[in-house]
Amino acid sequence: MTQTSTTTAPTGRAGLDWGRVGAWAKEQYPLYILILLLVIAGISTSAFFTPQNLTNLVLQASVIGIVTLAQFLVVLTGGIDISVGSVVGLAGVLAAGLFSGASVPLAILVAVLTGAAIGAINGWLVAFRGLEAFIVTLGMLALARGLVYAYTEGVPVTPQAEDFRGIASSTLFGFPVIGILWLVLAAAVAFLVRRTVFGRRVYASGSNKEAARAAGIPVRSTLFLVYVIAGVLSGFAGFLLASRVGVGTPTAGTGYELNAIAAVVIGGTSLVGGKGRVFGALVGTLIFAVISNLLVLLNVSTYLQDAFRGALILVAVLLTTIQFAKRKKARQLT
Amino acid sequence: MTDPSSTKTVAFEAVDVSKSYPGVTALDGVSLTGYAGEVLAICGANGAGKSTLARLLAGQEQPTSGSIRIAGWDKPINGPADAQDAGILLMHQEPMIIDDFTVAENVFIKCISSAGSVRGWKTVPRKRAEATREVLAAVGLHGVSPDRLGRELGPGLRQMLALSRTQVNEHTVLLLDETTASTTEEHFKDVLALVDRERAAGVSVIFVSHRMPEVFSMADRIAVLRNGRLVDVVTTSETTPAEVMTLMIGEAVSAIEAPAPVATTTRPVLEVSGLSSGSATDVSFEVRPGEVLGIYGLVGSGRSSIIRSISGNQTRDAGVVTLNGQEVHPKSPGEAAAKGIAYLTEDRRKEGFVKDFTNGENMTLATIKNYSRLGVVNRRKENKRIGELISEYQVKGGPSTLTRTLSGGNQQKVVIAKWLEARPEVVLLDEPTKGIDVGARMNIYQIVHGLADEGKAVVVVTSEAEEALMLCNRILVLKEGRFVGEFTPATSTTDDLIRASLAGVTA
Repeated sequence: MTQTSTTTAPTGRAGLDWGRVGAWAKEQYPLYILILLLVIAGISTSAFFTPQNLTNLVLQASVIGIVTLAQFLVVLTGGIDISVGSVVGLAGVLAAGLFSGASVPLAILVAVLTGAAIGAINGWLVAFRGLEAFIVTLGMLALARGLVYAYTEGVPVTPQAEDFRGIASSTLFGFPVIGILWLVLAAAVAFLVRRTVFGRRVYASGSNKEAARAAGIPVRSTLFLVYVIAGVLSGFAGFLLASRVGVGTPTAGTGYELNAIAAVVIGGTSLVGGKGRVFGALVGTLIFAVISNLLVLLNVSTYLQDAFRGALILVAVLLTTIQFAKRKKARQLT
Repeated sequence: MTDPSSTKTVAFEAVDVSKSYPGVTALDGVSLTGYAGEVLAICGANGAGKSTLARLLAGQEQPTSGSIRIAGWDKPINGPADAQDAGILLMHQEPMIIDDFTVAENVFIKCISSAGSVRGWKTVPRKRAEATREVLAAVGLHGVSPDRLGRELGPGLRQMLALSRTQVNEHTVLLLDETTASTTEEHFKDVLALVDRERAAGVSVIFVSHRMPEVFSMADRIAVLRNGRLVDVVTTSETTPAEVMTLMIGEAVSAIEAPAPVATTTRPVLEVSGLSSGSATDVSFEVRPGEVLGIYGLVGSGRSSIIRSISGNQTRDAGVVTLNGQEVHPKSPGEAAAKGIAYLTEDRRKEGFVKDFTNGENMTLATIKNYSRLGVVNRRKENKRIGELISEYQVKGGPSTLTRTLSGGNQQKVVIAKWLEARPEVVLLDEPTKGIDVGARMNIYQIVHGLADEGKAVVVVTSEAEEALMLCNRILVLKEGRFVGEFTPATSTTDDLIRASLAGVTA
């Protein structure tokens, strides 16, 4: 910033446009909540900012973070996918159990294909049959979880591969690989939605289906693909969870859908579709992870923890309405 | 404002009313008086402050300074409910009809908003079926059953249904906020009759509009707003539409010359034969390069069906469409666009642009692939083209403004830019100036004429005879799904078109 920026007009490729930074900063209230939480965490317990706890936090956040990415894509289209938790469970037990869980690459393939298959069914019903995403994925939630129990008979599945835990337990420069995978996937999803034709179609379909169709966008196949991608992400998350635990647990992923939806909404993605950023979804995931972590460190009873999380959702959603109210006022000027 | 009618009873009075929002003064020291038994039109271009004034009068917003007084009401008006109690009845541009209520329930909707009438409400359909019929008949809705659901009615009928509430709700001031924007000429005479009755009953009618023919057929006085200020209040009998328009936009309006018919020697680009879809039946026509063909007709005559079915927005029952001699039958708008047929919707908000998209994103919506390689968008290339388009079409607000925040005229420019980027040979426009004010209309007309000059074949569907005459080289009039006449602007009047659309052509 050698030149004092007196130009108010958007100059395209100026070094740093402070007006835009300001506009960006105004929208980042989830980030401020996260920072505030981190400050509170640092003050209230010395156990928070320790390498071990932070590693733990990343491990906890990563799997749910990837599920949140899946949810983010679906919510961006104006839909919702409450089957993600069951997909995590089914992908996990199948990855550990099919082919005896003897090979890690094969296990990953099984998990991803499981997710893709379920996503394809969801997507077909929602996009091509015009059914409500909520009810379709609600059915799938029960169906997939039922399959998990039928397959495992309620007993965790132990894979044969000795390095099954390898991916989840290894670190790179002291940082958990699973966390790196999460961030890489987040970057990939961000690239997908912000930089590609497909991403533009996702936003357009989510914001205004009719206008998108009228402009020649293949709305249905776009929606279908979004559910498939969401399934793939959830399936992969299912493998990572099984890898972290070392076994395919029948209850794995239970309740993840709520966590993911809440994280997406707290991150500023609109439930009616067409609005939202991956960065917000990341921050939303971290907010949840920090809260959960902190409540454990502070020895809050498990029952109260759920209440805290619920209250957080309400507060965050309330904050978004306050923001929208402001925008509405600004819009009336024109 | 010397008023000869000082003997009349004052119905409402706005004294030095100003309204400012952060950064913008929408209304600046407006003083206006309305009399009982008089129709006062409030005219102005978009952004002139007429909607703001209407909102203030209806109690939906409070003035920043100044006051509004309603005769016979000495309490302050702090909200729409107070305004209703004070006797102000507001008719919105979008009719407030509840889709899942029956016609009768919609007519007597006030019963649910006033206290202590829960029981009375429940008996509405049975007890008041007869009353409902009477009320509906009073606004020209003779054939509408009180038991039909709100959602079953078309836009024209919905508006009339909303207007029927004037018969039920007591009021001293009737505020029509662009109420006729979606009214067709056939229903307009019912509105006119209604307004006449209201006037005779001593109601003070306020008519907010920028459509000159309607203003002049209705109003006794016309208040003109420009940039938030009251420019003048004129008596309708002592002025002309051109004068009022000049007041509205601050400069003389130059009328566009009626275009001459295009020579029939060139080969048609678009040929349609025996097309049936929706209410359009066995329609045939052809459009040559450089020609603007108008399709004029009443709502329900099948105007939109024709061009929607050509462009893949609606299915075809029968008929052959050829583009440059090749038969085309697009199944989706995307397919039509790929073949060179662009359809610009009548419902911009729903189909025209994506509501959360910026001008830039909307402009490249149909052609985003041109700026991408392997599915990845080249932002720099895209932004460069967007910049060019913004200045070419003079869209307000620049590339990163949300399209939905713009005025109708600017939105339409964005939509036009989007489709012209796809380089269509045939451009189908459905009500291209719906909801667009006078000044911006001319701009749109120029763009349409520019298209024709480039050699594109243009079809314009319109429900305004005046627009058809100003815009088109040739006009086909549609009645009940069939063409009943062909006109050229030079030798026809609005009257000819309207007559043909109602009764078929006799000449």
